[in-house]
Amino acid sequence: MSQSPFRRFIIILTLAWLALFVLAPHFLVVLTSVMTPDSEHLAVWPMTLDAYARIWEPLYADVFWQSLALSAKATLICLLLGYPFAYIVAKMSPAWRAFMMFLMIIPFWTNSLIRTYAIKLLLGNKGLFNWVLEAIGVIDAPIQMIYTEFAVVFGLTYILLPFMALPLISSFDKLDKDLIEAGHDLGAGFWQRFYHIVLPLTMPGVVAGCLIVFLPAMGMFYVADLLGGAKNLLLGNIIKNQFLVVRDWPFGSAFSVTLIVIMGMMLWLYYAANKKVQRMGGLDDQNL
Amino acid sequence: MKKTSFVTGFLFAAGFLFAAIGTARAAEKVVVYNWTEYIPEGVLDEFTAKTGIEVEYATYESNEVMYAKVQLQKGKGYDVVVPSGYYISKMRKEGLLAPIDKSKLSNFKHLDPNLLNKPYDPDNQYSIPYTWGSTGIGINAEAIDPKSITSWKDLWDPKWKGSLLLTDDVREVFHMALKINGHSGNSTDPAEIKQAYELLKTLMPNVLVYNSDAPREPYMAGDVNLGMIWNGEVIQAQQENPDIQYIYPKEGAAFWVDSFAIPAGAEHKENALKFIDFMLQPEIAKRCVEFIGYATPNKSALSLLDEKLRNNQTIFPPAEVIQKGDFQQDVGEAMEIYNDYWQKLKTGN
Repeated sequence: MSQSPFRRFIIILTLAWLALFVLAPHFLVVLTSVMTPDSEHLAVWPMTLDAYARIWEPLYADVFWQSLALSAKATLICLLLGYPFAYIVAKMSPAWRAFMMFLMIIPFWTNSLIRTYAIKLLLGNKGLFNWVLEAIGVIDAPIQMIYTEFAVVFGLTYILLPFMALPLISSFDKLDKDLIEAGHDLGAGFWQRFYHIVLPLTMPGVVAGCLIVFLPAMGMFYVADLLGGAKNLLLGNIIKNQFLVVRDWPFGSAFSVTLIVIMGMMLWLYYAANKKVQRMGGLDDQNL
Repeated sequence: MKKTSFVTGFLFAAGFLFAAIGTARAAEKVVVYNWTEYIPEGVLDEFTAKTGIEVEYATYESNEVMYAKVQLQKGKGYDVVVPSGYYISKMRKEGLLAPIDKSKLSNFKHLDPNLLNKPYDPDNQYSIPYTWGSTGIGINAEAIDPKSITSWKDLWDPKWKGSLLLTDDVREVFHMALKINGHSGNSTDPAEIKQAYELLKTLMPNVLVYNSDAPREPYMAGDVNLGMIWNGEVIQAQQENPDIQYIYPKEGAAFWVDSFAIPAGAEHKENALKFIDFMLQPEIAKRCVEFIGYATPNKSALSLLDEKLRNNQTIFPPAEVIQKGDFQQDVGEAMEIYNDYWQKLKTGN
């Protein structure tokens, strides 16, 4: 009990921190999104839902879909690379695993903006990739990679891959090896074991990884700015431009709120998936 | 427990102490908000060495970003900003700028009267010109014959599909199309702007990248061989690659003057004046030309310049070239129309 004042202090500090730096800004964003844009005061009353109506204009709907598609591509590639990677890492001896985790963390020591600049050097017309491809005779003239959608997906995948791998590794960790062995003993082949046992049990990791990759991907405006040639490719570019260039804060806020709502819906999906797995995970489940 | 609260207390005390030191030193500083790569190396240190005033330096890549931040803080937070002329007039009218006491600028006399007392700021009550330059066509002579490109219209050639660079600046991009259509680059006529937008739409398939951060970089990296650029960027690029050249398009380039201004709410106005006066010294102005490659309005600096630089037409264009171009002006309410079309263009519509 002697620790309780200190504990209370920490809890209050944390709550105050969250309230001040998470809750209040989000509240302001929601508030701004229903205000009327004004060139002098940025946003004024009366309340209006104009900004939300404008999101559905064909122009922005285009960006929305484009952004979803780009993020989905990056997420899918992260999953395809991250899943086997997580499986291999989870099977390693603890020492090797610690080393692999360490390797994955190292890039975070460098600011992601700087790493994005480095990618520019790789993908340029006179960059490393084109140089190697030309040197080994695969291509005659440089392929345009930088400032294309490919470059953006490449950058997003590179930056976000660890966020996919980490939850997957922890999912594979929790995977009960006995279940796989039991499946094997009962005559299930590799794919059957994978599809009926491994995949359902690692599904929470898959969903968590996809969530952590997909949403930030739509907001990473600097990746689209640097690698995609500063066209309006991602929702993040639209939001940034609305705030800084056009100075229509209500509209920019409405976009942010829409993103938050999507995030909320996906979290709900995650929750639902988790619950389903817990049900299936019981030994009395008929699927096993 | 005792120990914990002692540590916490100590940390709090330390925090306050640092905050106190911070404010004590704040009196001796000036916050400068300038364009990216727009000041010679070492100048800030020399200013601090000479005056004892610390410089807090931040950079932006567009007038819009600078304006958004200054306006948001009601002119507080920065002591010196460097808007283009048309933003000077906008900010002046909105009361975001503080009048400048020119009697405190001992080096004001060095400035060329031709670049003073312009419509965007009559009598230079709010702004002191720093550099002037232009937006024209950049080309890599190694890849494309520079003689084959003479006009903005040449950028529309379908053979440049997916390969051009445009500056990430709505006014400069619209300037091209307005000039091709025979209008002023400062048009406020919605019909003319719409016509320019329609023309720019047909340019979009040719656009590879927008860049106003350092437009020379994609040229230098070999990712881009043709497009828009600022003259000073070409001068900087030529130090490494002389094949990167500058063309004044025959329809007329976009000219601009970037000026020092002091936001209305600036907390260190005296220091700001000292900083501006320091930058107005002919010797410093000369180094600005050498380092950033833009023309200086500082007449006394011209005579200090190396003859080769002084006669470089990329930096100091002949009178008839200036005559054909437009100096950028505030377009007032029409800016909204420009911005709407701009967002559409950048989304590929």
